[in-house]
Amino acid sequence: MSTRQDLICELLSESLLAWGLAGSVRREPDGGILMTSDLGRIRIEPSPLGLPFRWIVVVNDRSRGAVSLAAVLRQVRAALDPGYPASRVRIAPLPPLFS
Amino acid sequence: MIGVTVLTGFLGSGKTTLLRHLLRQPEFSRTAVIINEFGEIGLDHELVEASTDSFIELANGCLCCRLRSDLAETIAAMVDRRDRGTVPPFSRIVIETSGLADPAPILQTLMVDPYLGGRLKLSGVVTTVDAVNGASTLEREQISVKQAALADRLVVTKSDLAGPSASVVLHRLAGLNARAPVALAHHGRIDPRIIDAGRFEPQASSVHILSWLGSDVAGDGHLHTQHDPAIQAYAIRRNQPIRAVALTLFLETLAEHCGTDLLRLKGIVNVLECPDRPAVIHGVQHVFHPPEWLERWPSDDHRTRIVLITRHIRQRWVEVLLEALDAEVSAVSVRR
Repeated sequence: MSTRQDLICELLSESLLAWGLAGSVRREPDGGILMTSDLGRIRIEPSPLGLPFRWIVVVNDRSRGAVSLAAVLRQVRAALDPGYPASRVRIAPLPPLFS
Repeated sequence: MIGVTVLTGFLGSGKTTLLRHLLRQPEFSRTAVIINEFGEIGLDHELVEASTDSFIELANGCLCCRLRSDLAETIAAMVDRRDRGTVPPFSRIVIETSGLADPAPILQTLMVDPYLGGRLKLSGVVTTVDAVNGASTLEREQISVKQAALADRLVVTKSDLAGPSASVVLHRLAGLNARAPVALAHHGRIDPRIIDAGRFEPQASSVHILSWLGSDVAGDGHLHTQHDPAIQAYAIRRNQPIRAVALTLFLETLAEHCGTDLLRLKGIVNVLECPDRPAVIHGVQHVFHPPEWLERWPSDDHRTRIVLITRHIRQRWVEVLLEALDAEVSAVSVRR
């Protein structure tokens, strides 16, 4: 678990660098991850069992579900970098067996 | 005399796709190929089906900069082997430049080398321009303007994907180089005769080659071509197969967050669900093409290798993104 959390922390830290944003990322004792920046605090925590999400992203006390780390990154970026020119594409590299 | 065609065009503009098509045509059956890639590992040589006897990859540098002497020596060695009968008797050479290459120093190398001058004739410069991204690339990347302006033939690629943007590109190209005939490639295919039409005549170029060279010649007569220092090329390698869903999420996330800073992505991917058939992926800025599934691995190397040419995007971010997404998809798969 800790290895996976470390990996996600590194992904979030690297994402801040990639987006040219200031901030910090740290693990919390309860398994959550806390991101802080000038624009506020974001807490990312595993979703409770039974919900159709893998993650809960809490931005300034507002909670939203995220189905994957890709969705977590989208929510974090939208909160910390409002107005970034998101380019939404749909790519489905289905193996030929299934296509 | 052996004809030499210089195939150039900006990153992701479709050079390798066009070359693959041409090499399957009877007119190009006796062709030696030199491919130059910008980056630590090359993939194009795996994607182009050509005889290994007449195929050379020049990596770890750019032809227009530090590999110019390598190019002359490489061609001279190829011609020598041809004369001695140790390679098939090729009648033409195609040089595919890197997407960031300035074609002018390459042309100069071919024109001024006394040995090459006696054995080769420059058949022409063919420049590929992407119908989807071409207009914005020409606005942003000065080297792409040079590539288009020096062309004898322009090939507008991906015209099957472009809507109104194709006419914008054609209009821009007419302003840059009205002399060069323009061919539209559909799914990477053109009439191969277009490549052989005409011959390179620098005096006839709408932009004279020497005017391009002039600004780059230093006091010692050496050419110095500067690439944008923010542009980085690096490769991601993975020994373990990647799940198809993780690959999808990876590509979508890159496209979403990198935008135009992702100049080029290409790779050969070992997908867990289909280990015998590698997926070839291509992306240019925010445009990604559907993966192409090869019938078999082109070599014994079955690792995933993804080459990225980026501006301001750290390699570590890309690596950890792929690692984290694949780990997440793996965890979900195990739970099920």
